[in-house]
Amino acid sequence: MQNITRIYALSKRNVILRYKNSLVGFFWGFFKPLLYLLIFIVIFKQNSGIPHYILFVTSGLILWFFFSNVTGQSVGSVVGSSGLLKALNIPAYFFPLSETLSELFNLVLTIIVFLIIMNWGGLVYSPRLLLILPCIILFAVFALGLNLLLCSVNVFFRDIGIIWGTIQPALFFLTPIGYPESNIAPQYRIFMKCNPIYYFIKLGRGIFYDAAPPSMHLWVECIVIAVGMYIIGQFVFNRLKNQFISAI
Amino acid sequence: MSQDTIIKIDNVTISFWQNNVGVYSLKDLITQRKSPFKTKTILHDINLEVKRGDSIGILGRNGSGKSTLLRTIAGIIKPHHGSVTVNGSFAPILAIGAGLELELTGYENITLLLALYGTARRNTNAVDNIREFSELSDEVLRMPVKQYSSGMVARLAFSISLANDSDILIIDEVLAVGDQGFQAKCADKINQLKAAGTTILFVSHFPEGVLKICKTAILLEDGHITHRGTAEDICKDYQRLF
Repeated sequence: MQNITRIYALSKRNVILRYKNSLVGFFWGFFKPLLYLLIFIVIFKQNSGIPHYILFVTSGLILWFFFSNVTGQSVGSVVGSSGLLKALNIPAYFFPLSETLSELFNLVLTIIVFLIIMNWGGLVYSPRLLLILPCIILFAVFALGLNLLLCSVNVFFRDIGIIWGTIQPALFFLTPIGYPESNIAPQYRIFMKCNPIYYFIKLGRGIFYDAAPPSMHLWVECIVIAVGMYIIGQFVFNRLKNQFISAI
Repeated sequence: MSQDTIIKIDNVTISFWQNNVGVYSLKDLITQRKSPFKTKTILHDINLEVKRGDSIGILGRNGSGKSTLLRTIAGIIKPHHGSVTVNGSFAPILAIGAGLELELTGYENITLLLALYGTARRNTNAVDNIREFSELSDEVLRMPVKQYSSGMVARLAFSISLANDSDILIIDEVLAVGDQGFQAKCADKINQLKAAGTTILFVSHFPEGVLKICKTAILLEDGHITHRGTAEDICKDYQRLF
């Protein structure tokens, strides 16, 4: 119970800190996907040949920005909390966990706002949309695993943060968000299939966009990826955590 | 462990990975091709027993392991060898402002630290007590901590550690920055807590402070406890180091 209060306090701190000195505050979070949506409409909509292109892009974009924000915020979460970690006996995993939770909270708000835009883009409201909840929880578990890995290695090699900032845009274009899967030539599809984010975007798109709900096969793939990533992240984190204090 | 022993440290050795000369990035790791870390032992075979209500001074040069010892006692650092048994609760160790979030206001910091420490629900007056003790005005507490002077930060930090009604109070050089009035106030408060039975661990580079607050003391040199005894003797030993 006390741990829940502590994680809640840390998540709240993240939300406050994130938008502390900005004019539009919290709503800034909605502008980023909106801006990318506009760019995609201007550049790709004509040639894509995709019906309901706005809905197609939006369903991928909101999930992508959750991922990009949460990893970007978490990678430095342990290093950035050195003061608290040195002052209080508090488990270090609270920091990536609270970053993930505050970003998940952001994602829920974003989805609610974008449901309106997506409706204008052709989304039909139906009970099927509730499937987005297990989908984002799975995605958050995957992100938490990756965050645990990134933030613990970043304590010892600070360039992880910089490298991650470089890899991210590449991953963005490797993931079929603004274009259909069929745009990738068959001999290169293997790269797309190796990209774990592809499966979560596909799952989200299956819920918001596709005619048929996502297949059982896809759900299982996402569960395996999420749990696998979490186990790897937790393992690395546990191996390194006792050395954090000396290195931050 | 007898009834009145509050802290017991048995053969504790603490070692850290230490970065080899400047290997802080993957580039260095690849180009220099050497192991990036070596193990450095900070504390060697420490044995210490503290009775409930004791006040102990910890003296030593910079880098002798004082802060590491305090963090080990508080459970922040886990020992590889040996054991630490503690029979009470801690206040957060706020060494001159560390642990405060610079971008947050005074109030936000108070709420965050009280929640993290778990005091918020037990003691609803905590925020008022902190404001009163720190003598920081409402206006100041609404400002981000980054705009505070170092004395104001010390006031806030020390007031937050005191707000927790804990069994063990760890003081790590907090008193060095406050003005004379606040230093005197802190000394009074510490004596008051001592009288009430709080155990005090006091780290300082000023033997006068240690003499005022502590009956016994230990001297740390390169991770070993080299001297232990009454505060007077240890302060003399400490001054002989230089």
